[in-house]
Amino acid sequence: MHRAQTVAVPFVALGLQQRAVKAQLLAAVDRVLEHGQYVLGPEVEEFERRFAALCGTPFAVGMSDGTHALLLALRALGIGPGDEVITAPNSFLASAASIALAGARPVFADVRDDLNLDPERVAAAVTPRTRAIMPVHLTGRPADMERIGAIAQRHGLRIVEDAAQAIGATFHGRPVGGFGAAGCFSLHPLKNLAACGDAGVVTTTDGKVADLLRAARNHGLRGRDDCGAWGYNARLDTIQAAMLNEKLPYLERWTAAKRQIAARYRQALRGVVGVPEDGPGEGAVYQTFVIRADGRDDLQRHLAARGVDSKVHYPTPLHLQEAAADLGYKRGDFPVTERLATEILSLPIYPELTEVQQEAVTDGVLTFYGRRA
Amino acid sequence: MAMRVSYSYLDKQFADPDAILADIRELVGRGDYTLGAAVAEFEARYARMVGVRHAIGVGSGTEALTLALQAVGVRPGDEVVTAPNTFIASVGAIVAAGARPVFVDVNAEHTIDAALIEDALTPRTRALLPVHLSGNPADMPAIVDVARRRGVPVVEDACQAFTAAIDGRAVGTFGEAAGFSLHPLKPLNVWGDAGMIVTDSDALADHLRLRRNHGLRDRNTVEIFGVNSRLDTLQAIVGLHLLDKTVEVTERRIEHARRLDAGLAPLTPRITVPPRRPGIRHAYLTYVVQAQDRDALVRFLIERGVEAKIHYPVPVHLQPAAKDLGYKAGDFPMCERQAREILTLPAHQHLTNDQLDYVVGQVREFYSR
Repeated sequence: MHRAQTVAVPFVALGLQQRAVKAQLLAAVDRVLEHGQYVLGPEVEEFERRFAALCGTPFAVGMSDGTHALLLALRALGIGPGDEVITAPNSFLASAASIALAGARPVFADVRDDLNLDPERVAAAVTPRTRAIMPVHLTGRPADMERIGAIAQRHGLRIVEDAAQAIGATFHGRPVGGFGAAGCFSLHPLKNLAACGDAGVVTTTDGKVADLLRAARNHGLRGRDDCGAWGYNARLDTIQAAMLNEKLPYLERWTAAKRQIAARYRQALRGVVGVPEDGPGEGAVYQTFVIRADGRDDLQRHLAARGVDSKVHYPTPLHLQEAAADLGYKRGDFPVTERLATEILSLPIYPELTEVQQEAVTDGVLTFYGRRA
Repeated sequence: MAMRVSYSYLDKQFADPDAILADIRELVGRGDYTLGAAVAEFEARYARMVGVRHAIGVGSGTEALTLALQAVGVRPGDEVVTAPNTFIASVGAIVAAGARPVFVDVNAEHTIDAALIEDALTPRTRALLPVHLSGNPADMPAIVDVARRRGVPVVEDACQAFTAAIDGRAVGTFGEAAGFSLHPLKPLNVWGDAGMIVTDSDALADHLRLRRNHGLRDRNTVEIFGVNSRLDTLQAIVGLHLLDKTVEVTERRIEHARRLDAGLAPLTPRITVPPRRPGIRHAYLTYVVQAQDRDALVRFLIERGVEAKIHYPVPVHLQPAAKDLGYKAGDFPMCERQAREILTLPAHQHLTNDQLDYVVGQVREFYSR
């Protein structure tokens, strides 16, 4: 029974990651205090330049958060009342919310077992009012941009990538964020590249879109006293940009560590539960590691009893949320999404997880299914 | 003898940030960056200071206004009445809520003329958004009177007016809700963008807490499609350190304004100091007077080391963004005349009497040439 000894595995350990870079983060804050340019200071531009390089796009525009990144990108493309945007019903709510906030109508298309949009369902959801597709690279795994891109091209639709969970992910070697008219990222504290508060960024290959975004995030101001179009206040804080700049050099290392943990989980759990595979051309970054499990709720309780935290991202599909009542969907409309909602379970995954903790996670799952004493 | 009188003081304000940095060091070790404990504490103390039941921290002053307007029921197609001489964010906030801004001219004090509001109301008017411009309270008793009579909610744009008051009653307590900004150039400023909504209504407060956090009732229940507009824990920590100092900061600004008023009064009518009503606590986020030959005076002052500014040279109804609203030059004569004459002089808390007297001296010299 010595195995039953509990190893605590919290779902996240933000403090741990910060500890490694704490001195650098605080020094960065100090530098901002010295120059006092708290709003759109030089660190914002530096971050944008470096983030654009990471994504292989000519432009990146810092935002207050990932939701505003999506909202302002949609608005910059002229998407608003009367328009439809196709997205996934199993995403975090901000994907659909940003469409609704832009005044447009979210139209859902079902996903595949890889948790990403099913291109065939996307094609079937196109109507004369469709203006854009918002593929979500859920869990940090790239959606099928080749086929989604082909559909967009066939119907003359724009693509707004919801890359909120996918910083650094690639599809056939190309970083996400550069496949459509705009790529929208969240830098929320739980993301792979995380600010110490809310933050986001939009990447684009279109200089005009970049200009529109820069104005829109800053009240629509083109100059100090010249407002060309109504805008928002959705600026990336200088202080957050300064701290993100300190973390950027670690991103590759952190992502590699997560991929290694993912590989270990996969090897231990394949055949016992559904595990996320790296499909052809997919460079996933494992924002979350989501398994598909029979008896999910019991498994989650079993893990919790052993000190292993897990979460469900997300138990209620968007089309069944109260906020979506006006959209007219009902249970049964998206069978894969609805089935997945009962099977999915996110296991702890972060670079600081020790091998002992990782083993506690896999042992927890294996013992539940009687594969280990 | 030339002197430098700067408008910004951010390099001086945080000359000794060690206490704040120590708290941030702890935060970084802990990692509760989103709606952490400091946010709730800051909100509670902020609400107490204003004298309301609830304060809700949000991403910016602009978003405070948008969210408050939405919370009192403003929907696409509605109209919201405001002043055309404000910072564009007041109007951007209305448009972001999907509504149409309707402007009403201002009075000699640069705030919305309450007597003109009633004529601007239509069946589609869903809110009034009076602006306490430059920290000067709008005529809230008269505005609230019209609003109550016509059944229209009031959202105060108090972004520039924290600690301003009318007869001892703080701005932010007159309407159904009010939005404040904690932007770095405000007297209560944090280290980035942040805002605060205050209200006495439990229902509005509950709705606003939902709306700023994606409409999430709990982790997995989405009640409305809301935005992400949270006050960062990090910024709440900064705010907690500064909150108690704000009254003193504003007292200094008021003293400075009085000194400038007294020095400039003899220059009437070349300089027009706006009426200073008894019972009004003007917070002087900006110190604004009207000046003849304003543009030449601004150039002269800048040459003499005085960082004079204009808030704001182009009225909102004449901005390119407003072209679809159908206004034209001449629609708001008072606002437009003021836009040609207004001048902002430095009056912040870090200035010395010598610097203030130097400013007055330079203005005098300009007109005596």
